[in-house]
Amino acid sequence: MASEFLDPIALARLGALPLRAKVIVEGALTGLHRAAMRGSSVEFAEHKEYRPGDELRHVDWKAFAKLDRYYVKQFEQESQLTVYLVLDASGSMEFAGGGLRKLDYAAMALAAVAHVAVGQQDKVGLLASGDRQVEVVVPARARASHLHDLMSVIEGLLARGGRGDESAAVALTRVAELCRRRRALIIVATDLFDAGQDVIATLADLRAQRHDVSVLHVLDPHELSFPYHGLTQFESLETSQRVLANPAAIREQYLAKMQAFLDRARGELRAAGVDYHLLPTDRPVEAAILELLIARSQLQPRAARASQRAVGGRG
Amino acid sequence: MGFLTPLMLLGLVAIAVPIGIHLIGRRRAKVVRFAALEFLLASKRRTARRFALRERLLLAVRVLLCAVIPLAIAKPFASCQRRGPAVLRGPQAAVLVIDDSFASAYDQRGPWLRRAVEEAHRILRQLGPEAEVAILRASEGADHSGELTRDHLRLHDQLKAIAPRARPADTTRALRRAAQLLGASNHERKTVFLLSLLAATGLANAEAAWDEHGPAMQVVELRPDGELANRAITKLTIDPDPSTGPRGVAITVEVGNFSATPLEGLEISIALDGAVIARGAVDVPAKERRTKRFLAALPPGERVASVTASLRRDALAVDDVRYAQAYVRDDLRVLLVNGDPRTTRHDDELFYLEAALRPGDRADSGNTVRTVTSDELAGVSLADYDVVVLANVPALGEKIVAELAQWIRQGGGLLVAPGERVDADAYDRTMLPLLPQGLRDPIDTTWGATAAEKASRALHLVKWEADHPIFAPFSKDAPELAEASFFKISLLGPTTDTADRKVLARFTNGAAALVEAAQGAGRILLYTSTLDREWNDLPIHAGFLPMMQQAVRHLARQHLHGGQREHLIGESVALPTADLRKLEVRGPTGSVAYEGDRLAGKSQVRFARTDDPGTYLVFGTDATGATGARSELTFAVNVDPKGSDLAPAAASALPRSGDASDGPSDQPTERRVELWHAVAGLLLLLLLLEGLLVR
Repeated sequence: MASEFLDPIALARLGALPLRAKVIVEGALTGLHRAAMRGSSVEFAEHKEYRPGDELRHVDWKAFAKLDRYYVKQFEQESQLTVYLVLDASGSMEFAGGGLRKLDYAAMALAAVAHVAVGQQDKVGLLASGDRQVEVVVPARARASHLHDLMSVIEGLLARGGRGDESAAVALTRVAELCRRRRALIIVATDLFDAGQDVIATLADLRAQRHDVSVLHVLDPHELSFPYHGLTQFESLETSQRVLANPAAIREQYLAKMQAFLDRARGELRAAGVDYHLLPTDRPVEAAILELLIARSQLQPRAARASQRAVGGRG
Repeated sequence: MGFLTPLMLLGLVAIAVPIGIHLIGRRRAKVVRFAALEFLLASKRRTARRFALRERLLLAVRVLLCAVIPLAIAKPFASCQRRGPAVLRGPQAAVLVIDDSFASAYDQRGPWLRRAVEEAHRILRQLGPEAEVAILRASEGADHSGELTRDHLRLHDQLKAIAPRARPADTTRALRRAAQLLGASNHERKTVFLLSLLAATGLANAEAAWDEHGPAMQVVELRPDGELANRAITKLTIDPDPSTGPRGVAITVEVGNFSATPLEGLEISIALDGAVIARGAVDVPAKERRTKRFLAALPPGERVASVTASLRRDALAVDDVRYAQAYVRDDLRVLLVNGDPRTTRHDDELFYLEAALRPGDRADSGNTVRTVTSDELAGVSLADYDVVVLANVPALGEKIVAELAQWIRQGGGLLVAPGERVDADAYDRTMLPLLPQGLRDPIDTTWGATAAEKASRALHLVKWEADHPIFAPFSKDAPELAEASFFKISLLGPTTDTADRKVLARFTNGAAALVEAAQGAGRILLYTSTLDREWNDLPIHAGFLPMMQQAVRHLARQHLHGGQREHLIGESVALPTADLRKLEVRGPTGSVAYEGDRLAGKSQVRFARTDDPGTYLVFGTDATGATGARSELTFAVNVDPKGSDLAPAAASALPRSGDASDGPSDQPTERRVELWHAVAGLLLLLLLLEGLLVR
């Protein structure tokens, strides 16, 4: 399936972000006939025996004619999902080992998600973190024109590039405030390079508030394999730190630390019920979106279906 | 420091190459903007320092490599001034005089002698193979039989064999011998190299070792800087101390301080047979000596004990300990048999002998004397006495003679002196078992002489055995004996069945005066004149008392001088053989230093191998074949305290260089030491290090 997807670099050349998002979604849906992330529906679900108080317009008269008993049609409730996208636009996301910037990759993934969500009339909002001077908050809206606004903001962020060292936890805290009354689906695209470990803790808090949380852990392949040779001066993307090192001498220790970081992040997030996806930037974005959608569909019965179904049907 | 080819130092600019490469390499380091710098830092923190250190070390090593190569090619050398002799290489005659006295063991950052021997090796090498060299040791009594030789290998071996001896320095003797050896050489250049502590005590009259035609004198300055402080026990004497008890001894220790600093509270330890019995402190002013007296008592049953006095060790340890033998005198039990008792005291036969054996009738005379008449002798238990004196006793009965003879064979001592009451024929009949020779009628040399002629006709003692213990206290001439006049003497007849018969003294007419013989384990002395003034006037001469005291001690085998006199290293010690058939001396190290089994006819043996300080044990085998320790013969040997004074001699005490000196002087000399070998070694080391670092 992966060969059917577009190379992320080639995808990046496609021009405007909305187009790229559309291509990604279409590519993803080729592998998944139906988007599992459906917000509202008017489909029949099941019958139940009429009881006083049930709406008469939902009484199935055909069934009454056949069975001489009153049955009420139950429908899956039309529910409008609120999706908040959080894009880590800090300096570390600016890193590009040899292909896309992590920021580009994260932006494409979130744009695709936004495309899917708006297509399903769900409300989509966007927050970005990184630059302490600028607060990027796009409130959640379900209008089709809202998708255009959303894409413009993301494109603006891409044009500005990753900067600053503000933790994604700040944006997540803001999301928690925005979604205080209603549960939401929160999708975070970040590299989790947060010195204070605040991001993981905040994600766990959000999950504790019964929000659905998905983390797209975007990392560059060079960060995962450390393929450098010869005397190299490493410069921080967020601070002024510099390290002159012989990569061969420290590769083993670096990889061990990276693996420990990945294990810890995955373990802690999954333990908190957070949906975690590691996305190297050389992986097709469609495949990443597909994985996310599949994971969402698997989560649906557990998380949403039971509660949504109990509310009642409509005629 | 200088360089033989300084132009080569221009190559030092090459050190800029590694520095430049290092800087360029640093600048050329790839720059990567990296996000996961935190992980990098965590990994890097441990290795970064090592990496940076390695880089800097590598830079330093490479810079040094670039610097060392031109440095080595420039052939660096160092100039140094060394004191001591300038040694000229070539044909010449030279004598190395090395102080191997006990002071050469002076330990100041290592024994002095070791440095002296190293220096001697160096001089020998510098003299070259054409030099004829001899090595002389400067300790007292050292063997100076060595001759000039070109066999330098043997000379090096001689040097290796040199070790400190226990003798003081006698550098003067060695210098004189060096002058003799060089005087016989045909070489024009003749040099004496003196490697000595230059102590004044070893350089007495050294300035006259040779005249103005003598060899050149090169003093190798090896004396450590500053004063050679030393302290020593210079004397250890032991005297009986009756006030402490019958076994009391007074131990007097003399401590010398040969430094310029006063010694306060210096501890002296006294050990008796190895066990420390007393400690005391003494203050000794600088350059002075002080004595400290200890009182001690020998253990019950012991007559002899080894005494050791010691100080805390200093740089020269050998003179910090001194040895001696302590004796407790047993009173001799002497039975005097008076053959002619008189009521008038001074007419009595034994008046003078009693006075001689108990001077002043004091309890500490060492003798217990009992006098009996010949009639009373039968009732006396002879076993209670060590010595019996028969003075003018008429011939005794066979029974009592047999008893006496048996007592003598068991170890008793008998002195027989004739008189008017002695009948020679009667003695021949019964007394021969008690005599070394039979008696004949006495002769009166003054018979018929006038009063004026009497003195000139008198006989005198001559030809006594000076080595015999009885005559040991006397000088060779001994006027106190020789001036005594003998007017009447008994002549002697045929010898009897006794062993080791020996005439110890004779009169001027050749007649025997004192004859000694052995009878079993005992001894017999036959004196041929009276013990009172009836036949001679010896009793009123000064020699009578010591002769009689020594005679009874000899008969009782009491040799009071044994071990009490202090013997110095190298001195010969006279050991009385008494009745011994075999004698063995064991030195302080436990090894047998002397073994003699041909003692027949000898009254003493001389032991000369006193090479080590300490206590020498004597073992003897008597006539019965019994072997055992002869504690009364044990003696101690000590180092000569004059060698403890290390005060330096004045420059004028040394002989001046004579005509045969032609150049070398003891002025400081310039010496060039080439360093390029060391630099080349450093180069190899750096290459190795560089290889390790880049690996």
